[in-house]
Amino acid sequence: MLTLLEQLDKGSLWQSPGGIHPPELKELSNTQAISRLPLAKHFIVPVPQVGEQARLLIDVGQTVLKGQLLTEGNGFLYLPVHAPTSGKVTDIKPVASNHASGLAVLSIIIEADGLDTWCQLNASDPNTLSHSELIFKIKQAGISGMGGATFPTHIKLNTASEIGLVIINGVECEPYITADDRLMREHSHEILKGIEIIHRLLSPQRIIIAIEDNKPEAAKAMQQAISLSNLPANSTRVTVIPTKYPSGGEKQLIQIITGKEVPSGCLPSQLGIVVQNVGTAYAIQDAIYFGKPLIERVVTFTGKNIHQPGNYWLPIGTPITAALERVGFQPSTTQKLIIGGPMMGYAINDTYVPVLKGTNCVLAPSDDEISPDMDEKACIRCGECALACPALLLPQQLFWHAKAEEYDKAASFNLQDCIECGCCSYVCPSDIPLVEYYRIAKSALRIAAEEKVLAEQAKLRFEARLQRLEDEKIAREAKAKAAAEKRQANMKSSDKDAVAAAMARIAAKKAAQSHEVNQPVNTQSDKAVTETTDKKTAVSAAIARAKAKKAAQTAQSHSSAENNPSQAESTALNEQDNITTEVMSQKDRIAAAVARAKAKKAAQNNQANPSVLAVNNVSEMTTSDDVKNDKKAKVAAAIAKAKAKKLHQTGSTDNATEIEPTETHSVIITATNNTVITEKPVTGSKIDATDLDKKARVALAIAKAKAKKSQQKDDKIIGYEDQHPLASRSEVHHNEPISTDIDTESVADVVLNDPEKDKKARIAAAVAKAKAKQLQQTETKNLELALSNAASQADNFDSATLDKKAKIAAAVAKAKAKKLALQADKKD
Amino acid sequence: MITSIFVAVAVLTIVAIVFGIILGFAADKFKVEGNPIIDQVEALLPQTQCGQCGYPGCRPYAEAIANGDKVNKCPPGGTATMEKLAELMGVDPEPLNQEAQEAVKKVAYIREDECIGCTKCIQACPVDAIVGTGKLMHTVIAKDCTGCDLCVEPCPVDCIDMLPVQTTLKNWDWKLNAIPVTLVSDSQEEK
Repeated sequence: MLTLLEQLDKGSLWQSPGGIHPPELKELSNTQAISRLPLAKHFIVPVPQVGEQARLLIDVGQTVLKGQLLTEGNGFLYLPVHAPTSGKVTDIKPVASNHASGLAVLSIIIEADGLDTWCQLNASDPNTLSHSELIFKIKQAGISGMGGATFPTHIKLNTASEIGLVIINGVECEPYITADDRLMREHSHEILKGIEIIHRLLSPQRIIIAIEDNKPEAAKAMQQAISLSNLPANSTRVTVIPTKYPSGGEKQLIQIITGKEVPSGCLPSQLGIVVQNVGTAYAIQDAIYFGKPLIERVVTFTGKNIHQPGNYWLPIGTPITAALERVGFQPSTTQKLIIGGPMMGYAINDTYVPVLKGTNCVLAPSDDEISPDMDEKACIRCGECALACPALLLPQQLFWHAKAEEYDKAASFNLQDCIECGCCSYVCPSDIPLVEYYRIAKSALRIAAEEKVLAEQAKLRFEARLQRLEDEKIAREAKAKAAAEKRQANMKSSDKDAVAAAMARIAAKKAAQSHEVNQPVNTQSDKAVTETTDKKTAVSAAIARAKAKKAAQTAQSHSSAENNPSQAESTALNEQDNITTEVMSQKDRIAAAVARAKAKKAAQNNQANPSVLAVNNVSEMTTSDDVKNDKKAKVAAAIAKAKAKKLHQTGSTDNATEIEPTETHSVIITATNNTVITEKPVTGSKIDATDLDKKARVALAIAKAKAKKSQQKDDKIIGYEDQHPLASRSEVHHNEPISTDIDTESVADVVLNDPEKDKKARIAAAVAKAKAKQLQQTETKNLELALSNAASQADNFDSATLDKKAKIAAAVAKAKAKKLALQADKKD
Repeated sequence: MITSIFVAVAVLTIVAIVFGIILGFAADKFKVEGNPIIDQVEALLPQTQCGQCGYPGCRPYAEAIANGDKVNKCPPGGTATMEKLAELMGVDPEPLNQEAQEAVKKVAYIREDECIGCTKCIQACPVDAIVGTGKLMHTVIAKDCTGCDLCVEPCPVDCIDMLPVQTTLKNWDWKLNAIPVTLVSDSQEEK
């Protein structure tokens, strides 16, 4: 039993299954030496990798030199593209490709200048270069397999597997094609130099140059070249193999030379075998010794309709049209142009396509050379195709399933192992284009596989998105919870009045909301509150009052001023707070705290407004004046006047706010009433009570005025302008007595025994009401903003004044509180 | 006589207990999480997450099919998917309840100069295939787009088009008959 190496040395051959013996017709083109054609005027250099793995290095209008690098990239399958000649880049656009589909591919159009000037070339001696430098140079030269598949050569030569055998493929089994034949005859030494470089890179035990027995001259030339080469003795040999199609297929050749079958889905390198084309070896030699990139190749022009058939060196990118013009192409009426051989080639429908690195033949057959397209007949199950199949498949089974579009079943018959050699179609007596069916089935399977990958990705992305949304929701909830806890913690540390105030606010808001439900009632909301015994509001007011009372009780143990968050607001406010705390009794502090909270809110709403300071100043003034009651009252009156003025200003701009003056008048009246009362020497608690009542009324009136204003705004929008003035006027008239009624009633009902507490409660209620109104105001503000710009402008103005009003109300409340404190002091 | 009855009862009881233990152990040991048919159904669905079946995504529809829903509610999958589902579920194939989408795969394309940056399409996209942020132009990551159409509806300026995926040399499917054949001789004569 001989070892494989011994058998290789002996030249033993194995039988490959299937195969056919079509007419060779090589003598058409293999008699003349490879010649050169005049340079074409334009060149089309396809750059399909641009955008995915590469980017362009040149631009339209730029001048390029022959061999200049045109693209740059770093993908696994990236191959550099070079300019085939010197000239100017006239365009970069999609141009029909040299492909069965004829689809447009991004291409660089170079207008040749005819000089064919080379760029700087880096010739080198391969013995001085390391392996990686060699690989890099081969890659930079853009060398790909010249046999047709155009797989990047540097990847094949940089394999991780241990390579025992390199097969140099000079079989060229397809009929008509003689490019490799002529190359081997004329450039055997150059090819051997390339083989030496491959030997250095892969250091295989044996190198076999496989040549079919129909090319004896080539075999002889190669044999001679081997004896003159620097390769180790007995490491390289020429093995002549019998002519049979498709012996030149990679897997078939390996089977013939070694008897080993490359398993389905495996690469030959896994068997320790690498197959390279002779043309590739030549290109490697050119790249290393001369530094020339792969920019030209030998192309066979053959077929009876070409009058000067033969092999020509053509720059890559030469339009087929341009070459055909120079080889005496005379098309017949039904001329087909085939790129590649008659077995595996494809017809092109546009001749303005470039020569590519894998274009080895352009075939222009005459009508009698190639059989016309025959109609497909039914499969008769003769089994000829199965005998001819070099991959030992069952072509008719594949055909059945491919035709029925049962591609998965076709796949189960190993469709993927079909090499599309065309033997089955060649032998088919029914003229069935079997390979075309397989190609369609293969692409359908490939697309299905890609879609599956995409579907899997889409699923992952969908799930990731759901997860993200879920996470975001949880994070949001956690954040809200944390904020709530923080708020609660803050509240615990500060006085409980704030809690009470907040509760009162909520209750008031609810009441306000219930008002909003019935719109007609809402137009006279405050009157409705007081006049018609709206139970809901009465209840909520009672709740608010009760809460405020409770707060008052609890607050007695707390010092409200120190912890008050209004420290941040202004020092003026704080000073005032401190003074008031000293003077005030504890009950009064509550009211003050509420007022402060309110003031703070107002200040926050209107931070940009410089009037905050002004208001603070006013409150300071009140603080300094708090010893004298009458002055306080005067200040209040002044404030009220200022308010009225403002209202006038706003009112003058708007007809609908005409009634406002009357409102403010009433406010002023109450304020002056207040002044009158407070100017009287305060001696008894009874007078106190009435006094306070009035103060409360003032607060109520102010709040009401505000509410009315907001209502008016509401009405403006809704369109109740006509009704409204009357309504609000009547309100103005009836307000005070009614409110006092309610106050006294509730006092009588609930807390007759404790009049001071009652008052406090009333104040709290008033505050709550005011706040509710403020809320309403902001709501209307929003509405208006949405409605129109003009309205929003006016509204902004209004809201500014409202903020000020709120501040003023706060100041008034504070003043009241101080008065209370004074009274309390007197009592004490 | 009576003893043999007792023996028989005792033996059967022991056998029952032993088998019960074995079955209980097996039920615990070889427990199958979830319904495996759901995964099989889901693997057949196209994962466009378009919601045309009336369920929010392909997985919920797979669950519904496993629970006996009809298999003809997936227009993106077309008849081929419906047939596969019918085969898997052992039901008769039915015609699709909606018109099957044309075989051409489409992806969304945003006309970027018309985009106002409202992010509505981003929120609608089930596979996060649209990039962009508020008041800034958005664009579709074409390779991740499933062509589900869900972004087209929310767009307030209608700047999203569904464009067929361009045929390139990579996804060309060898349908030679689809190529217009111009005979070389004709084109030569024209020149």
